[in-house]
Amino acid sequence: MFGPLGYSLAPTVRSSRTLHKYLKPVADWYANLAGYRKMGLKYDDLLVEENDEVEKAISRLPAREQYDRAFRFKVASQCSVQHGPLPKEKWLPASEDKRYLKPYVQEAIAEAEERAAWDTMEVSRK
Amino acid sequence: MLASTTRSVSRLARSSRTFATVVDSAGVKVAAVDYGQPTSAVTFLVKGGSRFETKPGVAHALKNFAFKSTGKRSALGTVRESELYGGVLSSTLSREHLALTAEFLRGDEEFFVDVLSSFITSAKYTRHEFEEFVLPSLEADSLAAQADPLTRALELAHTLAFRSGLGSSLFASPHAHLTHQDIQSYASSIFTKGNLAVLGTGIDQATLSKLVEKSLASLSASGAAPSTTPSSYFGGESRLENAHGPQTVFIGFGATGVPSAELAALSAHLSSTPSVKWSQGTSPVSAGIPEDASVQTVLLPYSDAALFGLIVQGATPEAVKEAAKVAVKALKEAAAPGGIKNEDFGKAVSKAKFQAASAIDSRDGLFSVLGAKVLAGSQASVDSTLTALDKLTPSAFSKTSSTLLKAKPTFVAVGDANALPFPDEVGL
Repeated sequence: MFGPLGYSLAPTVRSSRTLHKYLKPVADWYANLAGYRKMGLKYDDLLVEENDEVEKAISRLPAREQYDRAFRFKVASQCSVQHGPLPKEKWLPASEDKRYLKPYVQEAIAEAEERAAWDTMEVSRK
Repeated sequence: MLASTTRSVSRLARSSRTFATVVDSAGVKVAAVDYGQPTSAVTFLVKGGSRFETKPGVAHALKNFAFKSTGKRSALGTVRESELYGGVLSSTLSREHLALTAEFLRGDEEFFVDVLSSFITSAKYTRHEFEEFVLPSLEADSLAAQADPLTRALELAHTLAFRSGLGSSLFASPHAHLTHQDIQSYASSIFTKGNLAVLGTGIDQATLSKLVEKSLASLSASGAAPSTTPSSYFGGESRLENAHGPQTVFIGFGATGVPSAELAALSAHLSSTPSVKWSQGTSPVSAGIPEDASVQTVLLPYSDAALFGLIVQGATPEAVKEAAKVAVKALKEAAAPGGIKNEDFGKAVSKAKFQAASAIDSRDGLFSVLGAKVLAGSQASVDSTLTALDKLTPSAFSKTSSTLLKAKPTFVAVGDANALPFPDEVGL
């Protein structure tokens, strides 16, 4: 429940057209308010990475994605040093805020679950 | 006495283990044989060895990719489930073929045929598996091959002898720039119905055919079959520094065309492996070589060429030089017209016949010797080899041997490259 990809109502919201219509502006407003885009970060950069599955997922990113991720962190820490966000033209546009890490984390979690299942299985005679 | 030996060998040949029939099951050749062994084995033999590879090392990488995640089960699932059944999965690569083998207890064939065929039909070739499992295993394989002087000598000898095609190495170089897409595209080019033979031991032919028909139904019937140019022999000389293991020299000669019976007889004639353990043997080579050196003959037959050679190994370069001189002298004597005595010739033919017949005694031998024949669609038995050896005459033998020796030799020295002999020093 408190994992890197905790429970989310997003799929339910997205499946209903009315809910989506009313909640999307609120969600966009909230995402901008959170301020990570002003630091040039993506949402998946905020995933807690002190965790086996996320570490594994990060190690499985393509080389280019890993480089970009490290670069965004450098930019963000420079912003922190300067006590201010990036100039507005350098903010991360909402269109680029993709869940680039999520599929890898999901795969790593599925693998860990499968391993746990095999480790604790009971063999029964047919 | 010799006559009775010959007779008993041919009797052995007639009752020898061989695939009774080859059935074309939905486009895939299926051959099985059952002697009532307690375990069964199924091999998927694919014409996709290193000679067909599109990029250096890709065949080796595909071999190490075997049994990773597929559309049906993950890599972990494959391993754990096979362990529960008590089966052994293995993949082997030769210059001509890639073989995926499962050995298991009788009755578990449904699961293991499914494991093998799901790799053929729906392997995922994921990038993370390639980087996390396949690349380290490729590196380990290549390192082990590098450390073994014999493997190094044979790899280099193939490159010198055949250059491309059969000359390409069985091992991916540590510097090969392979990606998982390379492997996927190579796999999709060789995994077609026409390029695949399914061989089984300890399993009923009908059962295996039915399982194969069901599980390989989705496989594409044909495609661009892997192509290779016909092999031609070049020869050459090379020396490698190697810090570990015995000093090694390989002296080889290549022949193109289907490997002949004469070569098998020549190999048997020179082979210094004694028929009685701890004895010296009566081969012309074994008498003269120093005690701390050894000479082995190798005959590596391929579909359109063969590499015949002598491997001389010893503790010191001097011993290797002495032994190589003796071996080359014996080889030249055997090749000279009338150089082989009738008695020696009969002995060599019997030995060659025994080797050919006993090769298919073991499961590995059965799969590697007869598997190629099943795949090529020719008769799956060693009868033709034995008949050819029976028909051999001393004159044909020396004629083939002398033609073989007229070509440029393949000479490889691995070890102390400063002290090991050069070809002219051993009489080549």
